[in-house]
Amino acid sequence: MIGQTRLQNALSAIVKRAKVEHVSLCAQASTRQVFRFAHGSIHQDVFQEQLSVKATVIDGKRLGVASTDSLSSANLIACLEAARAIASHAPKMERPFAWAERAAIRFSDDYDAATAKLSPKTAIELLAQQMRRCQGAAAELAGSFVTGEDELAVVNSLGLSNYAAASIAAMKCVTFHRGLSGFSSAAARTLEALDPDAVLARSLEQCLHATAAVRLPLGIYEVILGPEAIAEILEWLGLIAFGAKAFQEHTSFLTGRMDERVMDPQISIYDDAMESGMLRRPFDFEGSPTRRVLLIDRGTANSIVYDATYGARYGQASTGHALPPGDTEGPLPLHLAIAPGNTSVEDMIRSCARGLFIPRLHYVNGLLNPREALMTGLTREGAFLIERGRFSAPIATLRFTHSITDAFSHVLGVSRKRRLVADPHTGLGCALAPYIHLEKLTFTGGSES
Amino acid sequence: MAVMPKKRSQQNAFPIDLADHALRRLVRAGVSYGDVRLESSQHESLLVENGRVSSISTSDGTGLGVRVFDRGGWGFAATPHLGLAALARMVRSAVGLARATGSLQRQPRSLCPVKPARGTYTTAYKIDPFGVPLGKKIDYLLWANDSLMGHDAIQHATTHMDSYKRHKLFLSTEGARIDQTIIESGAGLEVVAQQGNEVQMRSAPNSHHGALAQAGFEYMKQLDLVGAAKTAKQEVLHLLRADAPKSAPATVILHPTQVVMQLHESCGHPTELDRALGHELSFAGGSFLTPEHLGVFQYGSRLVNIVADATVPKGVGSFAYDDEGVPAQRVDLVREGRFVGYLSSRETAASLGQSASGGAMRAERWDVPPIIRMTNVNLEPQDATLEDLLRDVKHGYLLSTNKSWSIDDKRLNFQFTTEIGWEIENGRLGRIVKNPLYTGITPEFWGRCTGVGRREDWQLWGVPNCAKGEPMQIMHVGHGAPYARFDGVQVAGAK
Repeated sequence: MIGQTRLQNALSAIVKRAKVEHVSLCAQASTRQVFRFAHGSIHQDVFQEQLSVKATVIDGKRLGVASTDSLSSANLIACLEAARAIASHAPKMERPFAWAERAAIRFSDDYDAATAKLSPKTAIELLAQQMRRCQGAAAELAGSFVTGEDELAVVNSLGLSNYAAASIAAMKCVTFHRGLSGFSSAAARTLEALDPDAVLARSLEQCLHATAAVRLPLGIYEVILGPEAIAEILEWLGLIAFGAKAFQEHTSFLTGRMDERVMDPQISIYDDAMESGMLRRPFDFEGSPTRRVLLIDRGTANSIVYDATYGARYGQASTGHALPPGDTEGPLPLHLAIAPGNTSVEDMIRSCARGLFIPRLHYVNGLLNPREALMTGLTREGAFLIERGRFSAPIATLRFTHSITDAFSHVLGVSRKRRLVADPHTGLGCALAPYIHLEKLTFTGGSES
Repeated sequence: MAVMPKKRSQQNAFPIDLADHALRRLVRAGVSYGDVRLESSQHESLLVENGRVSSISTSDGTGLGVRVFDRGGWGFAATPHLGLAALARMVRSAVGLARATGSLQRQPRSLCPVKPARGTYTTAYKIDPFGVPLGKKIDYLLWANDSLMGHDAIQHATTHMDSYKRHKLFLSTEGARIDQTIIESGAGLEVVAQQGNEVQMRSAPNSHHGALAQAGFEYMKQLDLVGAAKTAKQEVLHLLRADAPKSAPATVILHPTQVVMQLHESCGHPTELDRALGHELSFAGGSFLTPEHLGVFQYGSRLVNIVADATVPKGVGSFAYDDEGVPAQRVDLVREGRFVGYLSSRETAASLGQSASGGAMRAERWDVPPIIRMTNVNLEPQDATLEDLLRDVKHGYLLSTNKSWSIDDKRLNFQFTTEIGWEIENGRLGRIVKNPLYTGITPEFWGRCTGVGRREDWQLWGVPNCAKGEPMQIMHVGHGAPYARFDGVQVAGAK
């Protein structure tokens, strides 16, 4: 860990020396310890230190971005000079930028040193235990186990100096038993909250099943999607619809449809990077405080997210959704959530006469026809046929192809309980997703896997 | 006697002495095998939108990764903090991790032998893209961007350019010392048009930033973005009025830009030996091409010859040595339709009893260990012209430029959409169709390959966004292909 004082002092010293109109420095530092395992062995282990500093310079109303991965004064000055040289080639900005100013956010509530600095020995003992549990159940185990820490600091010439630090622990388990497989994953700020035993138990529960997988005819099925499946769909919705870039380019299904009903009233989608239960981040990569944005309000298109650049371009305030400087995707919601409903997954299963339970999806793609939020993807481990309110058999892989706005317009239930789903490697975002019971999802293909 | 490296402040941006120091520490630690990879990288990205420069950014960085194989376990540690203290910490971490995880191994592991190489490699290029004045590059993008504008239906016009430079020094305890500099250049455009609720997009020369080559600025000039812009604009406006294909089996001719994605997803990934051995099960998935299929499984028709070729000029998957010091090779993956080879590493090849690695270990950056990646996975040409391929087709589609992609975790059931298609009726190309989608099962699809185009139409493209591994690594891989024809393919409109 670099530490708040060292990180902010290094950035502040450069900002003070910069002879330009405005400058903003954004530093991301992280460490990761990653173990990957399969068939009773650890086949990859990594200890990784990373650092990236991005300098955004506005000089003569022209903007340039450069980055480096060193905190040395010489390298930071060189980076600043590179950004200034780039700015000299940029056109003058049409509208002034509205960077956040005079803020001093400090946030380390989600930092747990024991998790961030977990020793390799302890991690390997934990994995050896997991492998023994699997062997005891006559199952095979594959997966990954990650621990580490993230630091984010933004300092700018308007007096802003923000810093946040957090720890991370995450585990994925894929279990195999007589040709069936199960999957579960979890991410948390502490190892204690991760509960690795519970993660493994969820995966084992899906594969320790006496019945062989059945191949189902293609067509329309009632489905119950688990949090991991919903999180993947949410991530794609964020990418193709909820950011200002897609909205202004007219590729978002929300363009021209604000205040219209686009989904079932049981669906409210929002982005809130400071909600309890999220991997919290109090400010974005421009330093703006992250704000809660209600994107879909009880089925009705309500809003999108902005950063300072797109905010200035379209006369809106930043909602605190900037990506790291230099990224060209525009602002994106990286902490998406679906508001909890009033039912449980157990009740959903009991109420389903014939349908599919799909805990996760594989290789979803939302670029087929973004205006209709048409997506495709496949089932993977742990998918079951439900008959008369019970799991009757695991199913072979099926491919869905369906408009998500249509699928989310026919909702039979949303669970009260939600689960955090996150990729622990990027440190960028996560989703808080419930189980959702849908009246219909169209399955257009299948395979033997 | 070991020579201590100079203090950081006295070093240049590529501290070779630190890498040597790390190697000496590995030797002193007495590990079975160790390597050190010192890398510096540069990336410049230019973006013009709707007639204005919207983003110019550069990034550069240097770091060092240490990889150790000892007592049956692997350890890898990496840092951008290029000082002696951090270096010592990384060596200790990598050695400690290897020894700790080795205790858990069920089966003994070994590495295929490789002759320790000492050599250098630099991309063959004419014009260093980092030496071209920014203003010249921006002017080129503005000119092409301007060619996309000028119609009420055009909502968004983007032109972009990317330049990459990577300098890598690889040292191993076996005596390898390899210095490689790789330069890549790429450019392209996207145009979005809208009429009512209909929104269409065209990219050129390829989608997903696929016009990327191991070359200098001369490649960007050859791409002729201005000419491509005029065609893309006409086509996107045409697509606004087009119909979608009817849902039915049909003959499909894939343009090389789409064969690229077909190769990538349905041949490249399933022939990665780490996937076949289960190492990717928690992320990308497995492979239907498990080892018992090697040499006996009929993957496609006899027209199908697919190679992994790390030696092809201009390929973004080309190099002189991979990231564990194995020389670049051309490896047969599918020969006359039969599955005959894997993309492999020293460890995975040894686990199959093979005598040598296929040389496919690549790392995105210094901060991640090398894993098995595609190099340039290419469909070998035959001798058919496009006219030959069209001639016998009663009803079908020519599909070009990938739009979306999806395939199951074993790489069997795939579904692609392309940006544009042309109907084929009685051997002739007809009207444009929008939102074409096709789907199939990998060996059935390649088994229905009834025609492969000629060398003159063979095109080499890049896929700069291939994701694999944990931590995820985004790799640039190459694919070369001519036109290819497939019968009885399920086609539909993406709606």
